Amino acid sequence: MIFLNINNLNVSIEGKKILDDFNISINEGEVHAIMGPNGCGKSTLANVLAGNEEYEVSSGKVIFKDQNLLDLNIEERSQKGLFLAFQYPVEIPGVNITPFLHASINSKLKNDKKPELDNLSFAKLLRKNAEELGISSDMLKRSINTGFSGGEKKRYEILQMSILNPDLTIFDETDSGLDVDALRIVTEGINKFKDSKKSFLIITHYQKLLDYIHPDYVHVMRNGKIVKSGDISLASEIEASGYQNF
Amino acid sequence: MTLENNFINHSKEYIFLDNETLSNQRDKTFNKIFKKNYDKKNNESLKHISISDLSNFDYFYKPKNEDSKVTIIDKYNYEIRVVNGICKNYEDDNIKIRNLTNLDFKSFLNQDNNNLDDIIIDFNKIFLNSGIFFNIKSNSKLNIRLIHNTSDNFTIFQNNFINFKKKCEVQLEEYFNLTHNSINNINYNTNIEEGALINHNIFQNFSNSNKLYLTSNTVCEKNSSYNQNTYNFSDGFVRNFHNANLNGEFANASLKGCFFLKDKNICTIKTNIIHNAEHCVSDQSYKGILNDHAKANFYSNTFVSDNAQKTEGYQLSKGILLSDNCSFFSKPELRIFADDVKCSHGSTIGPVDESALYYLRSRGINKNEAMKMIISSFIEEDLINLDNNIAEQIIYNLSIYLNSLEND
Repeated sequence: MIFLNINNLNVSIEGKKILDDFNISINEGEVHAIMGPNGCGKSTLANVLAGNEEYEVSSGKVIFKDQNLLDLNIEERSQKGLFLAFQYPVEIPGVNITPFLHASINSKLKNDKKPELDNLSFAKLLRKNAEELGISSDMLKRSINTGFSGGEKKRYEILQMSILNPDLTIFDETDSGLDVDALRIVTEGINKFKDSKKSFLIITHYQKLLDYIHPDYVHVMRNGKIVKSGDISLASEIEASGYQNF
Repeated sequence: MTLENNFINHSKEYIFLDNETLSNQRDKTFNKIFKKNYDKKNNESLKHISISDLSNFDYFYKPKNEDSKVTIIDKYNYEIRVVNGICKNYEDDNIKIRNLTNLDFKSFLNQDNNNLDDIIIDFNKIFLNSGIFFNIKSNSKLNIRLIHNTSDNFTIFQNNFINFKKKCEVQLEEYFNLTHNSINNINYNTNIEEGALINHNIFQNFSNSNKLYLTSNTVCEKNSSYNQNTYNFSDGFVRNFHNANLNGEFANASLKGCFFLKDKNICTIKTNIIHNAEHCVSDQSYKGILNDHAKANFYSNTFVSDNAQKTEGYQLSKGILLSDNCSFFSKPELRIFADDVKCSHGSTIGPVDESALYYLRSRGINKNEAMKMIISSFIEEDLINLDNNIAEQIIYNLSIYLNSLEND
């Protein structure tokens, strides 16, 4: 099975080319990190994979679990097992976290032709996962991301990931805006979730996040394409001398 | 039928015919409209109101009062059914209700809304054919359901007087259950005496063959509170004009509402709050969801007189536009002549937030459900402080509206 294969992907927004013949392959159970300077197209890649309709894919192929990902709409991609942890999670006043996540997991289960979770089973699952991430039950009564601190928003993204149990998680600069303690809590949550079946694509500027998560591969991205790939030592090289050598 | 024909042919059906002053006033008002001596162009509150529709109609008013009734559910709960503008006369220790008679001309002459320049009130005066006196006695604590029913083709021009006596506490739920082709021009004069606390929930829910022009003018005395919530779920035309005068210190008035519109529905709203005393608080806010070719306008006005120090006055309008062809026009106005006040206004009108929609969809929720979640949250954030019964009715009507979007 091809898990994720992106082949010569070209993407523009408002006529400006952002991804330029972008290529990457990720296998089941692998952790990949993409590092790159501002404006190189990292977040565009994350959003295109999640199905954001603002971006125009002009050519290229994206195969995810043997299916053409570009044929699927936003929700179908999520139901197929793709999860984007947002750089800036959106505040949605009035939409309560618990029923939202319940509807979300049930849409995935329905798509997988599995029995949906009743209220009690879902409440137990949510409470257990929230406790593991140090999220209070009071927070679960609130509206999505409304009034949350930066750390709370990111922790809530991890909670959603743990409930939806995706095969591929994309972290779009999850470390931005987090202090050291919040970063540790978030990365602990990610590490608990890792296993040999789950894959991750981590987009970041800094080595710090990768020190906690330990990726199998590190890629450097510039001008809409990967210019160098290697192991974790590449992240140390970037930390020491920046991106100008790439 | 033309305005002139209606006026001449049905003049014997109007009340207060035998009063010369009122007859003269009526003739004068008729001439003003007949000669088009009014300014519609510069009056935003008449936006989307067709003067031709107002003037050309088939006047029909032959009421029977056998269906009107007052039901005493228990000593705190009343249901009053008004049929074609007629109620059952009734009195007990808590309330007194009776139909307006020709002997009430003084109340009509002295009503406070004579100062309001509004063409809808003018039509009400010209064709006035019914009216009710409600008197809620001092210290009463009541829940009242007031239900308006009409028969087919009735044209009702009604002028009501409500007096909430000192320190009464009333939950008033008012329903407009209108049938076919009725025109309802209903005008309220409400007085809220010292210390009285009134929650007034108005439900407007009827088919598109009906028209409702609802006007209210409320006077709040010292330490009184008037909370009006107007819920418009109608397919028919609705014009709401609500006016409140804060005449006694520490009084408060809020004129709020929400509406769900689709097809070519029109909802036009005007609110006006006048602060005439110190330490009063007012709030004017309306929320709407619009689809298809629906149109709404909300014109709000806060007037703070020079002696009304320590005033707080707030205005807000919020709207979600679900199609490119619908529109929601909002114009807040503040006129402040006191120097120690807190006043604000705001307006947020636009389509559903695309980033919120994307976020929900990225969690596997389909576009339609995500849309429903966002729209529901927009309305439901205001339901927390409402009685369950009221909130349930809003949620029910919202679900009907949302399902209609799905079927489009």
